[in-house]
Amino acid sequence: MLKQYPTLRYILQRGGWYFITFVVAVAINFYLPRLGSNNPVKIIMGNTSQGLSSEAVKEKEEKYLKEFGLVKVKNGKIVRNEDGSPVKASILEQFISYVGMCFKGDLGTSFQKYPKKVLDVIKDAVPWTIALQLPTILFGWIVGNVLGALAAYKRGIFDRVFFPVSLLLSSLPFFVFGMLLVYQFAVVWDCFPAMGGYAGDLIPTFSWTFFSSAAYHYVLPFFSIFLIAAGGQAIGMRSMGIYELGTDYIKYAKWLGLKETRIIAYLFRNAMLPQLTGLALSLGTMIGGALITEMIFSYPGLGMAMLTAIQNNNYPMIQGCTLLITVCVLIANFTVDILIGFLDPRVKAGLQIGKGN
Amino acid sequence: MNRNFKFKGLIAGALLCGLIGCGGGEKKASTTKESDAGSPFPRSKTLYLAGSQWGDPTTFNPMADIWASTWPVGKGAFNLVYEPLLSFNALDGKFEPCLGTLVSKSGDEIVIDINPEAKWSDGQKVTSADVKFINEIGRRFKDAPTAINAEYFTEIKVEKVQNNGVETERLTFVVEKKVRNNPLIVLDHITQTRIYPAHVWEKALADNGNDLSAVQKIQVDGSAVVSGPYKTEAATNEKIVLKRRDDYWGNKALFGGKMPAPEFIIHPIFKSNDAFAIALQKGELDGSQTFIPRIWMKQKDGVKTWFDQAPYFLAGALPIFVMNTTKAPTNDKNFRRAMAAAINYNDVKELAVSGYSPDIQPGLIMAGIGMEGKYFNADDAKQFGVSYDPALAKKILADAGYKSVYKADGTLDYMTDKKGTKLPTLFIKSPAGWSDWEAIVTIAVKGLRAAGIDAREGFVDASLYWPARGSGDFDILLTKPDNAVLPSTPWSRFFQVMTSSTWRPIGQNMNENYGRYNNPKSKEFNPMVEKLLKEIPTISDPAKLAEAYRALNKIFMMEQPAIPLAYLPEQFYEFSESRWTGWPTAANPYAPPLLPWVGASTKILWQLQLAK
Repeated sequence: MLKQYPTLRYILQRGGWYFITFVVAVAINFYLPRLGSNNPVKIIMGNTSQGLSSEAVKEKEEKYLKEFGLVKVKNGKIVRNEDGSPVKASILEQFISYVGMCFKGDLGTSFQKYPKKVLDVIKDAVPWTIALQLPTILFGWIVGNVLGALAAYKRGIFDRVFFPVSLLLSSLPFFVFGMLLVYQFAVVWDCFPAMGGYAGDLIPTFSWTFFSSAAYHYVLPFFSIFLIAAGGQAIGMRSMGIYELGTDYIKYAKWLGLKETRIIAYLFRNAMLPQLTGLALSLGTMIGGALITEMIFSYPGLGMAMLTAIQNNNYPMIQGCTLLITVCVLIANFTVDILIGFLDPRVKAGLQIGKGN
Repeated sequence: MNRNFKFKGLIAGALLCGLIGCGGGEKKASTTKESDAGSPFPRSKTLYLAGSQWGDPTTFNPMADIWASTWPVGKGAFNLVYEPLLSFNALDGKFEPCLGTLVSKSGDEIVIDINPEAKWSDGQKVTSADVKFINEIGRRFKDAPTAINAEYFTEIKVEKVQNNGVETERLTFVVEKKVRNNPLIVLDHITQTRIYPAHVWEKALADNGNDLSAVQKIQVDGSAVVSGPYKTEAATNEKIVLKRRDDYWGNKALFGGKMPAPEFIIHPIFKSNDAFAIALQKGELDGSQTFIPRIWMKQKDGVKTWFDQAPYFLAGALPIFVMNTTKAPTNDKNFRRAMAAAINYNDVKELAVSGYSPDIQPGLIMAGIGMEGKYFNADDAKQFGVSYDPALAKKILADAGYKSVYKADGTLDYMTDKKGTKLPTLFIKSPAGWSDWEAIVTIAVKGLRAAGIDAREGFVDASLYWPARGSGDFDILLTKPDNAVLPSTPWSRFFQVMTSSTWRPIGQNMNENYGRYNNPKSKEFNPMVEKLLKEIPTISDPAKLAEAYRALNKIFMMEQPAIPLAYLPEQFYEFSESRWTGWPTAANPYAPPLLPWVGASTKILWQLQLAK
């Protein structure tokens, strides 16, 4: 089937695999938080039972269990065991109702931010997370790779300075580097704000004041990720480049007397493949947020929301976030798979053979 | 719970604090770039305070469950948008007027006049209907907030009286005498319960088919009908903004026509603890309620506290180790007393809580502190209590037949009881990441092991800690029985720690006495404890009251169901005078050291002045 359209077949094949991965990932993300004995309603009740009689506590607990779909409900009433205790909904039943809700675009209500909807929490946080992560990852990747390839090819003094610096940057933990930035630029020199996504005396609006303030607050968090990301990429690219330089095809190209730019182009294209996969992964996971950066700079974003959700076994919130991350990782990987299909001569060759059959 | 110190600090946070503390010796409070012109909230009109709201704002609906709603509506006696009848001043033990004025109180009834000037923001008067609505909602809905408190009074009687020619509604809270008989709880309830407009919420209930759950989900914004001096202006995940209500009734009735100084109050929501210290030092935050270690290193940057030297803060809370008395060896009072003698309280004070604590005395009464200090008896403490004394700890253990078994390298291996049975390692359960609580546990473990007691740190996620606490799923548990200094303190602390009147077996939830001390069904049941707990709230004679507290504290010291660890601030209160001056301090104690929205401290807002 589709033998005459190898590219389409390749895309469909990949797509099929990704769909299966998606279903499995969603199921696992749903199942894992429920493995523990700690029910999130219990955690809520630990905070709310003071000042209530024990019957009221029971009533309230059942109200929440029902609201969050953790017990069986028939005609709006909780189904009960013989001793009057509510019948727990099995994980499969919970999963079916969850999937049903998802199709209606409802990710449920957050336990911890009750009565806020999970979707609203995500909507509030995601723009900040993307604004912080996307440019840092992309720029970090591009700058890192270009410098890495240059270092690999030029060697000499450039490499001797560049390599240790990149190594230092990439091995610095995010939080140490972030804190050093805060200390130097916000506390000692006092030229950049220490925290927040925008000035403390503003409310987000579509105004010049707000955007300029957001840009000003963006500088330190940006560099805290960017430099480290670029350093890491550069090291990877440099080693790949050096490896490729030693391969037969480059030697052959040199013997053939090809132009240097042509050789670098070949080199870059081959060395880039693993880097591209790395990019896809980091783009996919970026939505999960830069937790450490958020904490150090009190920067808005999804990382903190996810951390508290996990700490509190906030099922709907965990599910919402992991769903988003799963979708993003898969889409990013899928895109890269397709791209590699066009870029990698070996994959192309595979396709050609497919055509031949 | 424990809103006043929630230090989810990374170690990184501590590191950063250290860095900042050590560096920049000659630096003054910084001049942070501000744009008074472009900002909707000019710095000269805005007060920045933090520490009462930790996550994203969720709902400003006052009817929502207390745990779910957001500052300034949520838990804590925040008086900015809704107000109680009375505010309790923990400094002098007086009840200060708010929506009402205290006329008289006795063991049988508490009489309060509604302030005839009190008005809602929609112009309607605050009436007895409003007071009755929230106070009695627990009789209509069992799961309404503070429902159980309604069992402590039988009714609220209303009569009309003339006060200097002004017709005033007089309320009488009649204390329920047969079952509960506890006027202290009624007083706590009156000072902690804020009054909501009945005409608004009765209508909401009617519109929603009398379904409280549905009403609790209604989203409320700044247009809500309130009685307090501020209203919510804006809320994002990064901050909550309140705006002054210039037509607030109390300006004239309570403050001689003055308005609160700040036009806006902004509560920034930070994600880590060190953000507060930095913001205070930079003058971006005017006041905060967070644990900042080594506060003296911040003084040069203008960060101030109640006292300008140790212990810096006014104590009011007593963290304790609760012992699980249902299993060996913590069911043996000798063992518990040995533990109390093995902990180095001075180390706890100096190392875990940065010295923010006066020296601790044995017993459950905080010696020399606030209104309860007068009940402390030094002779009893000496005779019946145990202080840090490693030799005594070893002696008590040896006398009771406990043996410590050491490994070849000299470290403690395990313990045996007098029958020679090997005892399990005891874990001290405490929430992971609360840095000063972790430090308390670590120091205690060091002392306990040195005395030959096989105890270890048991740090768990807060989400596991809360359910374990109520159900008694622990060996030893670190907890803090006081959430605030209330009219009922220290009775409420004794009740929290010692009562078995609400007995539930291990596995079921209990909100008091987590360690299941004094099982009413056991042979060793001591009826005296319950008798004293029941009597104290009804005693009005000061000499008899002191006698009763003395007797109860004596039982506590002899039985040691829990181990008090340090006298901590009730709520940390740090401020900076770089923008606003006039904060209460030990030298000028016109209000308790709390942020200016908690109870009787709200009046700070009328005393603040712009710094020159």
